[in-house]
Amino acid sequence: MPFMVGSTLRSVICVALAAVSVVQAADIQGTIVVQRKLTKRRVTPAMGSYDRAAAVDLKTDSAEDPLSFERERVVVYLEGDLPSQTGSITAEIVQQNRRFFPDTLWIPAGSTVSFPNLDPIFHNVFSLSKPKEFDLGNYAKDHTRTVVFPKPGVVYVNCHLHPNMSAAIIITPNRWGAKAATDGKFTIADVPRGTYTIVAWHKSAGVFRQRVAVDDKNVAVSFFIPIGEDPMARKN
Amino acid sequence: MRFATRSFLLSFGPFALLLLGSFTAVQILVQHAVRDQLVASLRQTHESIARMQSKNDARDSRLLRILGENSTLKAGLQLLLAAPSSREARSTVEDQLREMTETLGFDFLMISDPGGKPLAGVFRVANQLAPIDFSRTHAPLRGLLTLGESAYQIGSTSIDQGEENLGTLSIGERLDFSGFSTPVVLEHHGEAVESTLPGVSRAEIQSSLRACGQSSDCEVRLRGDTYVSASMNSLSFGEGYSIRTFQNLDVANRPVQNALHAVFLVAGVGAILAALIMSAVSSRSIVKPIAALVDRLRESEKTGVLPEFRALATSIQEIGELTESFNQAGAAIREGRRTLQRAYVEFVGSLASALDARDPYTAGHSRRVSEYSLAIGRQLGLDAEQLDELRIGALLHDIGKIGIPDKVLQKPGALTNEEFALLRQHPTIGRRILEGVKGFHPYLPVVELHHENWNGKGYPRGLERTDTPLQARIVKIADAYDAMTSDRPYRPGMSDEEAVRRLEEASGTEFDPVIVKAFVASGVHAEHAPDESRSLRNLSSAIEIASGQTAPKEGIPSGEPSK
Repeated sequence: MPFMVGSTLRSVICVALAAVSVVQAADIQGTIVVQRKLTKRRVTPAMGSYDRAAAVDLKTDSAEDPLSFERERVVVYLEGDLPSQTGSITAEIVQQNRRFFPDTLWIPAGSTVSFPNLDPIFHNVFSLSKPKEFDLGNYAKDHTRTVVFPKPGVVYVNCHLHPNMSAAIIITPNRWGAKAATDGKFTIADVPRGTYTIVAWHKSAGVFRQRVAVDDKNVAVSFFIPIGEDPMARKN
Repeated sequence: MRFATRSFLLSFGPFALLLLGSFTAVQILVQHAVRDQLVASLRQTHESIARMQSKNDARDSRLLRILGENSTLKAGLQLLLAAPSSREARSTVEDQLREMTETLGFDFLMISDPGGKPLAGVFRVANQLAPIDFSRTHAPLRGLLTLGESAYQIGSTSIDQGEENLGTLSIGERLDFSGFSTPVVLEHHGEAVESTLPGVSRAEIQSSLRACGQSSDCEVRLRGDTYVSASMNSLSFGEGYSIRTFQNLDVANRPVQNALHAVFLVAGVGAILAALIMSAVSSRSIVKPIAALVDRLRESEKTGVLPEFRALATSIQEIGELTESFNQAGAAIREGRRTLQRAYVEFVGSLASALDARDPYTAGHSRRVSEYSLAIGRQLGLDAEQLDELRIGALLHDIGKIGIPDKVLQKPGALTNEEFALLRQHPTIGRRILEGVKGFHPYLPVVELHHENWNGKGYPRGLERTDTPLQARIVKIADAYDAMTSDRPYRPGMSDEEAVRRLEEASGTEFDPVIVKAFVASGVHAEHAPDESRSLRNLSSAIEIASGQTAPKEGIPSGEPSK
């Protein structure tokens, strides 16, 4: 995925810049543990694969692990006394097979997201979310529109023509954030010394907060989603 | 043909005709009733389906109104209206329709612009949702539409944005014949579009339905079966469409027909039996007395007597009348026979008189011989019939003398041998004369054989003793006696005593002794031999003398009491 590579590259550059400016810094490494399936997948099947009486949420992909699906859709970021409006990036959400991809995106405030249409049909991307309301109108294949998200918050993106299409963009006030990998591992690199609130966000499970103190050593954090169902505790 | 057979045929024939007629009539009535009932049931099905259909229509229209408020669809329609020629816009909407179709389970979805022009649509074919090519299909907003192999029933609602009409949404479902309990054929402009008739091709249906024309119900023959078909008029399927339902008339008729056949078989057999019994009984009551009548007639044929029948043991008036009229006929016949007999007797008497009249000397001879013979017969105790034969035979005994020339018969002198031989022929001649008349047959023996002698020296056959029949022997004696006591031109008649004496002399040689005795015992000769004959004889001879005729000469050959 080229945009991911781009984003990573930019992050590396940012980290390098931070390392130059901040003397004392460390990484926060963490794990997201999702206990159970949280999302009812509403996926529109590809054209031509319609079956009568098998209505729309259908098509759970048996090849995909539902927990890793959930883990992948968790965004982690830091709240606290950190410099804002830094590290804005350009990201992309494509419309393909009547789905947004990715359907969960983390960006620092001030970043720009483009919405290219790769489907042979029209899409109409819009959002009614407070941080950024927009309506990109109808546009056909190989056309794209861009949106800048200056304010932090969660913006839900939909398509006028396809009610099943939805995506969430998490705009964080600063550049210290990350999206978990499929195995639940994440790294927030180059965090200046201090005490912060680390926040984990999941679309349907909500927001989870922890205090974390960072000094010159790397810090490990774990989130159990949903709350109270610590598998360790249960094992004991 | 026997009476029983005839009466059976006569009584069963009308029965059979009546049965056959009523059978045919009932069969036709039942067939009509079944047919009417089938048509009525078809109509009832139609009505219930129409009711269900209108209910479905109402539900569908409510659903349609909700669907018309679908914002996604509105967005798609707006997109399509803004870019009507865009292929992508069309496939966008088609895609939306497809998804909706999936969700809602319809088979057909279409949107049209406010002017009614179709913009995009999908329909289910082979379990896939395919876009509709509107360049080839004209889709109505209501009613039926045939796409590919199927017919779809379509309903529509308008899509509005505020006051503005964006277009029309049409949904359709495949026409489902599962609600029909009977076979159904969908026609479009007289063409069979769909059919649930098992194993019959649409071309066959179409050709046999052509006979129906415009009539709402008719009978058609399909694959050897007769169906009654009714077209469904209560539903508006749109232009040119109509639905025909079918009922197999043969299958519906079969149980009724079988029952009818059974009933009529029983009735037929019963009628045959009844006719048999009736004709047997009735013919027996008629045939039995008739058979008795026939038996008696046969019997009377054998015996020759026609007795009077007493009333036969029957209560049938006609048979009684038959017996009565038969008796009357019998009486008439008996009367006729008596008359005939009388005529015979009169005829015989006149013959005898004619014979006697040839010779005045023999006048009354035959009558007297008859009287004597009768007296002898009575003496011998003969029965009435024998006496009758005797009496008439005696009257006729000399009839053969008709064939003897007068010169021989009336020759006063002695006969030459030739003449004598001629005279001796008279019994044979007599027989010949009488044998041609059937009624005279009983008297033939007397006529032919009254000159036979007891000792066999008589003529013409020379029979001995009792070989000569009794009557002939009797007549011989009576004849001889009368000849002896009668005058002849050549001699006077003997006295009774003389004659009896002569008879007794010849008894056992010439005469049967028993009969001679009977003759003597009867006493007829004494009371006879009357003077009256003699006086007549004298008178006639006196006349002959007066007229100058030659007087007869004396002398006759002995043993010849009569010529």
